[in-house]
Amino acid sequence: MSVRDWLDERTGYRAVVKHALEEPVLGGASLAYVFGSVLLFVLILQMTTGILLAFYYAPSATDAWASVANIEDRVTMGWLVRGLHHHGASAMVIVAGLHLVQTAVWGAYKRPREMNWIIGVLLLGLIMAFALTGYLLPWDQTGYWATKVATGIAGSSPMIGDQLKAAVQGGNEYGNLTLTRFFALHVFVLPALTLGLVAIHLALFRKHGVTPHWWKSEDALARDVQPFWPDQLFRDFVAMAVAFGGILAWTVHEHGARLDAPADPSSGFDARPEWYFRPLFQALKYFGGSMERIVALGAPVVVGGFLLALPFADKSRERAPQRRPIVMSLLAVGGLCVAALTFLSYREDAGDASLAERQVAAETRAQKARVLAELYGVPAAGGTSVFETATFYRARVIWAKSCAKCHEGDKREGPAIGAGYNTRAWIRGFLTGPSSELYFGRSKLADKEGAMKPVDYTGADLDALVEMVYAETGAPDIDAKKVARGHEIFEDDCSNCHEREVGKESVSAPNLYGRGSRWWLAQFIATPGGATFFGDRNAMPKIGADLSPADRDELARYITWLRVATPANVHALGDP
Amino acid sequence: MSEAPPADGGRRRFLKVATCALGGGIAGTVLVPATRYLLYPVDTTTVTTGDEPIDVMPEARIKKGAPPLRVGLVAPSERDAWGSVQNVPLGAAWVLRDDGGLKAWSAVCPHLGCSIGYDAGDKKFRCPCHDSSFSLAGERLGGPTERGMDPLPWDVKDGRLRITWVRYKVGGSTRETT
Repeated sequence: MSVRDWLDERTGYRAVVKHALEEPVLGGASLAYVFGSVLLFVLILQMTTGILLAFYYAPSATDAWASVANIEDRVTMGWLVRGLHHHGASAMVIVAGLHLVQTAVWGAYKRPREMNWIIGVLLLGLIMAFALTGYLLPWDQTGYWATKVATGIAGSSPMIGDQLKAAVQGGNEYGNLTLTRFFALHVFVLPALTLGLVAIHLALFRKHGVTPHWWKSEDALARDVQPFWPDQLFRDFVAMAVAFGGILAWTVHEHGARLDAPADPSSGFDARPEWYFRPLFQALKYFGGSMERIVALGAPVVVGGFLLALPFADKSRERAPQRRPIVMSLLAVGGLCVAALTFLSYREDAGDASLAERQVAAETRAQKARVLAELYGVPAAGGTSVFETATFYRARVIWAKSCAKCHEGDKREGPAIGAGYNTRAWIRGFLTGPSSELYFGRSKLADKEGAMKPVDYTGADLDALVEMVYAETGAPDIDAKKVARGHEIFEDDCSNCHEREVGKESVSAPNLYGRGSRWWLAQFIATPGGATFFGDRNAMPKIGADLSPADRDELARYITWLRVATPANVHALGDP
Repeated sequence: MSEAPPADGGRRRFLKVATCALGGGIAGTVLVPATRYLLYPVDTTTVTTGDEPIDVMPEARIKKGAPPLRVGLVAPSERDAWGSVQNVPLGAAWVLRDDGGLKAWSAVCPHLGCSIGYDAGDKKFRCPCHDSSFSLAGERLGGPTERGMDPLPWDVKDGRLRITWVRYKVGGSTRETT
């Protein structure tokens, strides 16, 4: 007795396989019948890649984005697995659409297959629910904002809107409970419902058989019968291979799926849904006020209701499409509307130059987040805190907000501060031309009475003076002899206005002790008008006083770093 | 099907082989990357904590002959897959001073990785899971463990004891790091 015989005696598997494969296909195998099988195949692909993603995904508001970035950039083939899952979802929608059109044209919703049609429509709804719940899971900008719109629509439902929204998003605001809910729906509830309905769908399909060609007579159908295995299954597998090849090629072409920057509720973002929700997205633009709600909530109900009611509205036994002009026209008009709205939506976006600019900026931010996450990991605060791992992130944020306006660019009002600030060259330039363009030239201190005069020294003496000022920054590469000479010159010529003893109030100009060092800068930022700084000649706004001591220190650390930085170094930090 | 004309036999056999080939091709194309994806952690260091010594306590607090002290080792930072976290407890050490000087033992049981406790009555270390027991010098006294307690490297800097965390493989009579 062979192993197979032994197994068959205990399980009866041969009869099951025989029953599964030897279904007679009336009228012969056909490429028209492949869509259901392809859909089942893509569903299996989605389940496989979905389970794989679950091995590395964490459904929490602080970890979700970071775990997806980890899949994309660190896990072997992670980008491919996520890409297949993402584009597989699009393939589901496309193939489901083709399946629907084929069965509708063949009249598969008619007696005795009404129940199978209805279950098919419910499955279509589940596919859309998968798409909606899956979009949020990476917790990136696109998913976050697009899903906000979707739950906002749910929240505008009559009577129960608020409760419905709170139930869907798990509380009063987006957060951990939103993700755990969407995750549970996406990976447990929806797959269980889908598998159950697919099982019934297949059982009913076997019960009634394939909906045969309408152009063949009963006799011809009976005469041209072919077995499901291998005649139909071969065609099914060819179609599956084409679908899989398409998904794979597209995934490779697109380098996987997009992952935007981490969800940031404080940012502005141009939320766009996936392409298959574009018709609804576009339709909402044409309606305002209560009409908008009616369209947003009503359109899916109308479309679903039409499809569900179809078997009961069109009860004739006639299956030839040319003799069902009303149903065929309604389907065609519906399809054209969907296509037109989709086209309009993309065309509007394509014509919007400022949108394109914002999208480029969003993409740059996404890339930066990915690089930082890969290099340094995402801090426990999660998501957007990845940017804080960037060098001088905090300082650059403060700089951009509070300092750049006066110390950078064309509309500058104070001395230019950037790469090379407080180097020997910078100090030399200052000493020889304090009121020149790059220094006090644009400030109130320039060339007024009492303004600092250029020093008269040249050669070794000027070098010594530069070295003395440079030494105060705390730079390690100091020539002590030059500094000593610099001190002599200072006493002769500079000490009328400046002090260089710690804490001593100056006569009319800043005390130079520790000038340009980190602690000096931190104090200066806090009180530029202090008695050891510019005193009542100060022209710098007191913005620094509002900063926390830690922020002032971080800013000071950044400014001292500028001394050893090149413009390329500063540029490489990027915009915060 | 049985009533198929004989001429169809060759064609059907081809279709069967071709169908299986297509199915195998698709399955293989998915399975190869899927396997590599799933096995990514096998040869990757997913958790890194750095190997710097961790400051524990003033060395003078460890008195000769006093009962061993259990100290937690907290890493200043850790990279765990996608996350970077601060002040992460890594494990614990038992420290004591005997005639041979200062000793630092990993509290991870070399049997199966439970956390070893101290039995003050019997003056020996005991693992609460499977009753392996160890002397204060870390030697195996009884129970299922095949080796004594694992030592942790330590040094003293500016009067403070610093211990370096080491992950040992559990099980076996020879000591290997992971």
